[in-house]
Amino acid sequence: MMSPLEQYALLLGMIAGTAGLVGCVYLIGRSFGKPRREEGKDVPASSGRLSSEPVWVRYHVRYYGLALLFLAFDMEMAFMYPWAVVYRKVGLEALLDMGVFLAILFLGLLYGWSQGALKRR
Amino acid sequence: MTVFLVLVMLFAGAYLVAVLEGWTSTGRLRFAGPFWAAVALLGRESIVPRKPDRVLYETAPVLLLVSAVLAAAVLPLGPHLVIADLATGALAVNAALAYVMVALVMAGWGPDGAYAMVAGWRFLGQLVAYSMLIVMPITAVAMRAGSLVTTTIVESQAGIWNALTQPLGFVLFFLAAMAVCFLPPFDLPTAPGELAGGIEAEYAGPRLAVVRLARMVLVVSLSLAVTVFFLGGWLGPFLPGWAWTSLKTLVVAATMLTAGRYVPRLRGEHVMEWGWKLGIPLALVNIFWVGITLVLRSM
Amino acid sequence: MITGARKGETSWLRRLAARASSKELAAFVVPGPEVARAFGLDLGAAGLRVVPSPRHASVLVVVGGLPEGLRDAASVIYAQMMRPRAVLVLGSDTASPLPGPDVSAPMDQESLSAAVARLRRAFAEGAWDPGVEDYAPEAAATETRYTCPMHPEVVQKEPGACPKCGMDLVPREVSSGESDGEEEEEEEAGELHHGSMDHGEHGSGGHEHMDHTDMGFMSMVEMTRDLQPSGDGLRMEWVEVPFGPLFPGLPGGLALTFTLDGDTVACVQSGSAVGRGGGCLQGVPVDDLLEHLGRIDPLSPVAYRVLALRAVENAAGVEPARATAYLGALEHERVVSHLGWLSSFGYLIGYEWLHRRAAGLQLALLRDDTGEGETLWGDLSDLLQRLRGATLLRRRLEGVGRLRTARAAEYPGPVSRAAGLPYDVRSEEKAYQDLGFEPAVQEGNDAYSRLMLHLDEMERSQEIVQAVGSVSAPDDLGVQDGISGEGDATVETPRGPARLRVRIEDGMVRSAELETPSGRHAQLVEDVALEHEVADALAGVASLDLSPWGMTR
Repeated sequence: MMSPLEQYALLLGMIAGTAGLVGCVYLIGRSFGKPRREEGKDVPASSGRLSSEPVWVRYHVRYYGLALLFLAFDMEMAFMYPWAVVYRKVGLEALLDMGVFLAILFLGLLYGWSQGALKRR
Repeated sequence: MTVFLVLVMLFAGAYLVAVLEGWTSTGRLRFAGPFWAAVALLGRESIVPRKPDRVLYETAPVLLLVSAVLAAAVLPLGPHLVIADLATGALAVNAALAYVMVALVMAGWGPDGAYAMVAGWRFLGQLVAYSMLIVMPITAVAMRAGSLVTTTIVESQAGIWNALTQPLGFVLFFLAAMAVCFLPPFDLPTAPGELAGGIEAEYAGPRLAVVRLARMVLVVSLSLAVTVFFLGGWLGPFLPGWAWTSLKTLVVAATMLTAGRYVPRLRGEHVMEWGWKLGIPLALVNIFWVGITLVLRSM
Repeated sequence: MITGARKGETSWLRRLAARASSKELAAFVVPGPEVARAFGLDLGAAGLRVVPSPRHASVLVVVGGLPEGLRDAASVIYAQMMRPRAVLVLGSDTASPLPGPDVSAPMDQESLSAAVARLRRAFAEGAWDPGVEDYAPEAAATETRYTCPMHPEVVQKEPGACPKCGMDLVPREVSSGESDGEEEEEEEAGELHHGSMDHGEHGSGGHEHMDHTDMGFMSMVEMTRDLQPSGDGLRMEWVEVPFGPLFPGLPGGLALTFTLDGDTVACVQSGSAVGRGGGCLQGVPVDDLLEHLGRIDPLSPVAYRVLALRAVENAAGVEPARATAYLGALEHERVVSHLGWLSSFGYLIGYEWLHRRAAGLQLALLRDDTGEGETLWGDLSDLLQRLRGATLLRRRLEGVGRLRTARAAEYPGPVSRAAGLPYDVRSEEKAYQDLGFEPAVQEGNDAYSRLMLHLDEMERSQEIVQAVGSVSAPDDLGVQDGISGEGDATVETPRGPARLRVRIEDGMVRSAELETPSGRHAQLVEDVALEHEVADALAGVASLDLSPWGMTR
């Protein structure tokens, strides 16, 4: 059994290894020869028209209401993980505690639903 | 040693899933298909689009592969066949899968192309929809096992699989898993008909090979997650543990790959609406259901 | 050597890669896979996998000659393909300005398979070559222009300062073709959109080309003060995105440009790159009129031939006795055309099963030209039944591409029939009335009802073909030489009514007026796409079943 520190070090090593694997793949690809720089080749493909207009603009996402609700629920899930682990030991009390918490959040979801936050803006 | 073995099996699984994907689109099982496709991709040119965000453009394929590998690293293939049996294994799966979104949004922003941009942000919307549906069933599973350690979760299914005691969670997790690896009908980011390839459109040659490899490994990781959490992992008679896991994983992957072809792509707003109006209440019901049954059983 | 080879000597590694390339041929089809299917070519069965992005493709397949309007687009697409790349031309010998075709073949399935085999050999042997030259078409050339970030209409050739606000001009690449028409486009557009503004406050990494530092700090509110607010009151920047002419989901040749506000369509510009110019039929001898009209639209040639036949018969004063004999051909083509549309539509909405099945049925029907394939008609009924019962398809398309009924009424054809208005040219023809024909009608006026209408029409056409029996198309006019007169005929093509008025003198066409359904329906594109999410907008446009060949340029 490895200690947690060793496990995380192993995972870090795996990240490095994967990056190294990708690097090797790129090196193999490079060994076939360098790409030819030609006119128009590096313009992003847009169905036959060369439009090199930059698209890094303020993108108007339509789901921002939903994204805020998602943040709330994500924070809730952070609490639920430890709760799930000790659930069996604590028993009914845990169910009631978390039940209240979830009910409040669910009410929040219903409120957002009624206000149209779940729809596309 | 186990690390090496698990990695080999993981990539072999990814290869087999690539063969399966070729089978679903052409109807023939070509075992050498992915090999030739990979070599052909390596031999092609690969250019960087003009004025890209170079850091994001290059990091996206790597990050996609890394997140897929990390998610698989905490999932066991057999009783002692796991790379890192973390104490918070189930949580680590979720954490690793969160980086899929980061990688895809990077891939959308990086090349400075219109189609990729729209595709990247659409995937973010998809994440807002499916993310809770990944987490909540895992929580319910962890409740039954009393721990987040993935091997314990498998062992807790020794009597009966989680898919049978928590069917709601199983279905939701299965669908959410399809959404994470953006398989049809959830392929909003790589829509071939609507966005001419979306985020994959600007990758070519070796980079495209890495993106495709990452996608296959992601499918394998998620199928493995479904197997471990809901289908009993390595439990089963006669065959050794790793054989059962492989079998179940391949069946799940094949189902994921074929199911989506018979359904049109879901609209982005439908994914979000159904995920939140239908999915989350059902997931909460699932958690309550599991909670109540566990309390009743312990009484 | 293939025309798009990579530079270098062959080594064992490169030979392996070349062999791999020859096994995995990915094709980008110009003008579009629907045209290939309309000619009866099964690209998948020949070994070519159709891909949506030119960067994933290794072969550029040109089906049926490269129309003039698509030359620039095709050369740009070819320039954007990664080497090793090749050109395959079907039905013609050259495709300038693309480099000389590596393989050319006539347009039938066996020649296609042989051509693909030759292509594979060409790849395996010639993917690397020491003597390789750049491909530099005019259309792909770009120039640097200098523009002001705050005033995109100010464009100069040299760096300097903006005359309006005094800021330094930043360099921007534009294609040489665009830069000449740029000023006119800005005036024509007329709407406030700042697609060319880039700014670096997103924290996403270095943008070297962007430089706001000398402007001082500008808050988001200040920077977007002049922009038009969107539907929900936020002011965001809009981007102009082309969706044509060679977009994989839409019919090839349809040149759409959407101005996107996020993922919603704010402005629409549409046109056709392969449309016919006016006056193309003038001076044509009457004997050749059939051929000429049949070539106008490769997606429904039979209907236009019948149109030519009827117009000439009308001009010659001949009784249309042979009209019945071509009912079968017309209706057979209607089924084939609708299946082709279904297949493209399925590809667009990501319904892979529909895409495959409809394409398979279309090709099978085209091969079997006796009209007696019983199993085929059974398969068609199966397909229709499954589609009618598909609830997720209904959810996907309901409400998409909705038009106002008054607007739909102005465009007789499938669009108005899907809005509940039963106008159909065929219900006035005696031959159809004898067979008890009634036009199919749907309520709903959205993409789903148009889909259902196509299915109903296919069913009725199937009944007619089975009643009539023969599906032979007209191939000669059967009128004597040197006729004169004025003819006027209308035919219900698969996409709506088409009308031809000719004035013939001494066996030559003096003047001709052709009205095509797609030419009219093109004006509905804006109604259907505006204020929709881009995927829904595309589905709406596709549901109109436009044929860019019938639109005017």
